[in-house]
Amino acid sequence: MLGIVLDLVIIASLIALAIQVVSGASLFRGIIHFIVMGLTLALAWARLGAPDLAMAEAAIGAGVTGALMMVAYRRLVEITPDHNPSRTGSRSRLALPIAVGAGGLVGLLGLGATLSDPEPGLAGLAVLEALQDEALGNPITGVLLLYRGLDTLLEIAVLLTAFLAAVAVTRREDLDYSITTRDPHTPLVGALLAIIVPLTVLVSVHLLKAGSHDPGGAFQAGAVLAACGVLLVLTSRVSASSQSRPLIGLGIVAGLISFSLIGLAAMLRGEPPMALPGMWAVYFIETAMMLSIALTLVLLFAGTESLRRNQHG
Amino acid sequence: MTTEALALIVFVPLLVAAGMVVLPRSWLGLLIRIGLLPLPFLLLIPTMEVVDNGAYRVVLAGHDSPLGIVWLLDPLSLLMLWLNVGITLLVSLHASFSFPPSDQPARRFWPLWLILFASMNALVLSADLFNIYVTLELVTLAAIGLIAVEGKPAALRAAMRYLLLALMASLLYLLGVGLIYGQTGVLDLYLIAEHLEPAWLTITALALMIVGLLIKSAIFPLHAWLPAAHGNAPGPVSAILSAMVVKVSVYIIWRLWFWTAGDWDLDSAATLMGILGGLAIVYGSVAALVQQRLKMIIAYSTVAQLGYLMLLFPLASTLAFQAASYHLVSHGMAKAAMFLAAANILRSVGSDRLSRLAGIDQRLPLDVFALALAGVSIMGLPPSGGFLAKWLFLEAAREQEAWGWLVLVAASGLLAAAYLFRVLAVMCLHPRRRLRSDRRRRAPNLASVAAILLAVGAIVAGFASAPVLDLVAAGLPPGLAP
Repeated sequence: MLGIVLDLVIIASLIALAIQVVSGASLFRGIIHFIVMGLTLALAWARLGAPDLAMAEAAIGAGVTGALMMVAYRRLVEITPDHNPSRTGSRSRLALPIAVGAGGLVGLLGLGATLSDPEPGLAGLAVLEALQDEALGNPITGVLLLYRGLDTLLEIAVLLTAFLAAVAVTRREDLDYSITTRDPHTPLVGALLAIIVPLTVLVSVHLLKAGSHDPGGAFQAGAVLAACGVLLVLTSRVSASSQSRPLIGLGIVAGLISFSLIGLAAMLRGEPPMALPGMWAVYFIETAMMLSIALTLVLLFAGTESLRRNQHG
Repeated sequence: MTTEALALIVFVPLLVAAGMVVLPRSWLGLLIRIGLLPLPFLLLIPTMEVVDNGAYRVVLAGHDSPLGIVWLLDPLSLLMLWLNVGITLLVSLHASFSFPPSDQPARRFWPLWLILFASMNALVLSADLFNIYVTLELVTLAAIGLIAVEGKPAALRAAMRYLLLALMASLLYLLGVGLIYGQTGVLDLYLIAEHLEPAWLTITALALMIVGLLIKSAIFPLHAWLPAAHGNAPGPVSAILSAMVVKVSVYIIWRLWFWTAGDWDLDSAATLMGILGGLAIVYGSVAALVQQRLKMIIAYSTVAQLGYLMLLFPLASTLAFQAASYHLVSHGMAKAAMFLAAANILRSVGSDRLSRLAGIDQRLPLDVFALALAGVSIMGLPPSGGFLAKWLFLEAAREQEAWGWLVLVAASGLLAAAYLFRVLAVMCLHPRRRLRSDRRRRAPNLASVAAILLAVGAIVAGFASAPVLDLVAAGLPPGLAP
């Protein structure tokens, strides 16, 4: 009974939040509502028994995406100080019919899907069966790396492409430091970082390692690590740089290159491409992907293709 | 051998793109060659395999469907691979002049270019609905980055519009995939057919996927993003967008329609698709007729020419399949040639407004020649690839006594001739042509050669059609095989 009430509350607030996101009086309120909606969605995934998705949604959907939207909003205010972005333009007359139509379609499809009598999920059953022969305990990680590794590899390539596309449209003069704190030298900032940075690194490494048996994995760990990087950018411990550095470049493509090379190396052993040689490969690829994901997200946040360290006494 | 070759065809350009991010700029020229030049030779191995055995499956990671992802190489996907490799290589020849490795923008252009190349190779091989989604995303994102790579405001606006519409299209496709997976528990394009019955939910799912793909392939009336995007992108990017990027989505629709839902009764839906194609041809041609910029005329011509690919659905026969596949090939080469020639003209004149192009045939004879040659194929004049494709369409329509489609195909050639002769008349027959003698910067000659090569390819396709047509005939979908 309590479960149903909880579910209904989540559903109702999701719909209300979604309406607020698109129809909010100001852009800023829309962003805030979007972040809250991401967190509520994470709750919904948790209720549906998908903790991996819940974590990814909270970390990436709400956390990192929220930070990216905030920094985009900040830049928007800066570029067009006269044009007040908090007041959105006149709404299209088509908005309501489209929203109602889209909502109706999704509702109808959802109803149809729940009422229909689907065949047993062949792929899902096959995963659980195949997993018994592996040292992995988490079926999600199994699907992501062992069975459908090409999807994951191409997703990493999507992230790289998004980064390259963002760099392609970023102009040199866009580099600014306005998002950093006004006074990075206050003693409190240093003390805060001394506690938070090691902790987030610890959490992300734990998430990565836990991913082989429990909910977790490279995407969640990378998002947590990215949060740490965002903090370092905000406190101006690192800042945007226009000078490209090989180490930064290597970090961005580490996940793609290590996954591809290990996947191709299988053919030298006479195995089909993308077959992984063992658990070490899973850990290695996940670590590389975590670093690439975290670094790419931080670079997107800083709006730059490279970073440099700032010295603070 | 074939497995290794196919894996390298996808991974070599992808890894080289990643290498470009890390290695210093002095390596860029070498990396471009490593990422592109081995591909035609690698592709010979799968070609031998298809010629000998017909089709080839690569079970990735050793996990067969429904558990894992499978690549399927059959005659149609082989044709798409050759088309992608051939056109990308020739357009790259042009791109090595418009984005020379020594220049700053090259570092932004080439990684995206190679990712686009690799992802289209992965897309045409994939036999997995979700994997196709990921590769489609990769294709779209890389294409958007490439449109915006020069940072011009018009291109940025076009890229943003393309991004928003393409994302919506992706979501529609993904929703359909989710529904189908929920019904069948399978994602394999060819395995689904056994598990799927034409109930309303599965039909809706398929319809959602097809609408998403129609947006991505800019079929009328979902074409709104295409002219601005293709008309404002850098030359080589416009060429590959029109020649390949929109086509791969059509290719996926064909796969869904004739393979996954091959034995469903889709007659009325097929007629609807054909009508959309017919409207695309008429609308695109008329819109091209009133444009004032050369690249916009070529972009609207793409809207029109894509319509032919839709005629396959109502005609649905061996001949129609050969016609549509051949149209894919010849239009790909002709349109790439036109965009490259237009890029050279734009670079040389500084504008592509028709009013500024009077008499440029004297200054840029090679480019105008390439434009005219490619135009012959687009109009469907003999002897060209475009003519052969139209002829096959007419034959297919006559065979089924589908007179409406026959009249449409016959009349549409005239429309294409109208908008192309308008361009050529301004360039070659304008009364002002003798007055202009200013010789400004000319495009490098090899950039013109790339355009000429593609245009000649489109013409030669009119003679050397037998291997391609035999290949297509060998790879007909199960329902169409005689």
